[in-house]
Amino acid sequence: MPRPDRFRLGAGWVGAGAVAATGAVSALLLIVGGYDPFEAAGAALGGAFGSADAFLSVTLVRSIPLMLTGLAVAFAFRAGVWNIGAEGQLLAGAIAAAWVGLVGRALPAWLLLPMLLALAAFAGALWALVPALMKVRLGVGEVITTLLMSFVAIELTAFVVRGPLQEPRGVFPQTEAIAAGARLPALVPGTRLHLGVVLAVVAAVAVAWLFRQTKLGFRMRAVGASPEAARMAGKIDTGPVTLVAFLGSGALAGLAGGVQVAGVTYALYEGYSPGWGYTAIAVALLAALDPLWVLATALLFGALEAGAAAMQRDAGIPAVWAVAVQALLILAVLALDQMRRRANAGSAGV
Amino acid sequence: MGSLLRTSLLGLALAFAACGGDAGPGEGDAPLRVALLTAGPVSDAGWYAGAYEGLLAIRDSLGAEVSHQQTRTPAEFDEAFLAYGSSGYDLVFAHGFEYQDAAMRAGEQFPATTIVVSGGGRVAANVIPFIFELEEGSYLAGMLAAGMSESGTIGMVGGVEIPPVQGTFRAFEAGARAVDPDVEILEAFTGNWDDVAAAKEAAAAQLARGADVIIHNVDAASFGVFQAVREVVGMGRTAWALGMNRDQNDVAPDVILGSAVIRIPEAFLEVALALQARGLGGEPIYEGASEGVVDFVLNPALSSRVPPDLVGSMDAARERIRSGELAVPRVPFVETESGIR
Repeated sequence: MPRPDRFRLGAGWVGAGAVAATGAVSALLLIVGGYDPFEAAGAALGGAFGSADAFLSVTLVRSIPLMLTGLAVAFAFRAGVWNIGAEGQLLAGAIAAAWVGLVGRALPAWLLLPMLLALAAFAGALWALVPALMKVRLGVGEVITTLLMSFVAIELTAFVVRGPLQEPRGVFPQTEAIAAGARLPALVPGTRLHLGVVLAVVAAVAVAWLFRQTKLGFRMRAVGASPEAARMAGKIDTGPVTLVAFLGSGALAGLAGGVQVAGVTYALYEGYSPGWGYTAIAVALLAALDPLWVLATALLFGALEAGAAAMQRDAGIPAVWAVAVQALLILAVLALDQMRRRANAGSAGV
Repeated sequence: MGSLLRTSLLGLALAFAACGGDAGPGEGDAPLRVALLTAGPVSDAGWYAGAYEGLLAIRDSLGAEVSHQQTRTPAEFDEAFLAYGSSGYDLVFAHGFEYQDAAMRAGEQFPATTIVVSGGGRVAANVIPFIFELEEGSYLAGMLAAGMSESGTIGMVGGVEIPPVQGTFRAFEAGARAVDPDVEILEAFTGNWDDVAAAKEAAAAQLARGADVIIHNVDAASFGVFQAVREVVGMGRTAWALGMNRDQNDVAPDVILGSAVIRIPEAFLEVALALQARGLGGEPIYEGASEGVVDFVLNPALSSRVPPDLVGSMDAARERIRSGELAVPRVPFVETESGIR
């Protein structure tokens, strides 16, 4: 397990190293493909950071779901719960949010919006409850169950946009747009940046505080470090701690889904997530599971996605190449993280 | 109505293109800026590839500055429209119904940008549904299917049961019944566009029930349909498949009798020309057989197997569709048609 409190500087180096390595390999790929890497890099940087609008309306907006799902993953992983199903929990949250946003038209915004977000988080937690109970009661490994629950959520999304939540004409597999009062207001007027970014930062600070300052956070970290030691030496009942890790993680991922529906798409579609819940694992690992670092690594991935889209538009680089760059970054993260751990283990004489 | 104008504009554009690069159109003016959004890869050799070819045709014929982005999810739609709208693109092709809500939002925000939504259902002054009347090609396919069937049973394998797909099947039925009123027609949907195995199973089930001509509308999964037909042909039966959306005759030239096609690149070029010439004017654009965009093309390798009088009656039907004399059934889905706004 990475111990972020001690290696925060290490996390920064891993990030920088990942970016540098990816950049070098990506440039090579581009040259092989017959594209100008400088033009591509210019387009990518311009698209991600080129103007206040690019940063606020594109990069930050793209980071928000990664921040929240990254927090969800970090929350679970720190307690030794390998929840790799943030994707499904996010979709459960998105479905709940779309439902509230559609049926709650008559409600005032001050009631509707908090209700939407709360129900999204609740739905995400509910989606995590099934693998949680299977783990705690039956000892079934959560890596399989959380992943399988994601497939169920994907199919459920496809069903609801064709069935109970389909737009009223019954023509297109999507929902009608949610009520105006159910939408997250813009944080900076004139940009697409919505209030969700504040939610993400508050959530990150809250999780960081929970880990560092509370008994529950200590127990979660103890169980995550070694469940046996926590049980034997620390006299910690691991069951409830594990349950909290599952539910908290699911709620954060569900909130991410709610924030996307209320802040970005205003409707639910089939194939709703490009894999935010999976990218979140890389986001959390790159941040060494530190909640505050998750904000930074999510921003990095958001900038990368924004840059990839701009590369397509402004430098004519095909979409598949942009996806390849993202895959490269994830590989670079995993490799560098492993190297760092090995170096640490060596110096500590473990 | 506008087909003569369109044809002459098309000729004009090709003449321009033939003049060579230095005589670029709109000298002195800024070049037309045209963007394309697709929700899938332009390497699909079908729906998206046609759109990309259309974009390149606009670039080559009109000297337009072009750009393409493949969006992966709805969260990216607003961002892409923002990028193109704020940098002053004149025309954005959003190649799929899923873009329609974001297109309406962007249309309001960027009045100088015209957004054309393929298969869209919502209309605004600068947000225009772009409807391909593939039914007209599918009607001709139905005639061929009924005319070629020896068992009197034919089949249809669809992907997702959305109106454009239902429309092609209703027209296929009408065409088949026009040739053989007693023909039995089977219908199955796989629920998606890319499950080759499911499409193959659905086609195999229809073949087992006696169908001997099968049409599809399952996009990338169509290979499964062709494969199922190939397998029964390999076992000594006579059976045929029909292609859809693009000319698929070369995909399985041994079993595909012909394809109902949309000539997407030509349609895209026409829209860009119309925008330059007179604007698009807030009305849905329909492209069908009378515009030459939708058609049915026989597979030259197998056309000798089709009786000449069947070909003759299909040609006659094509002319009657083009002249408006023969109305092919259509499932309406644009809000101005269905009366729901």
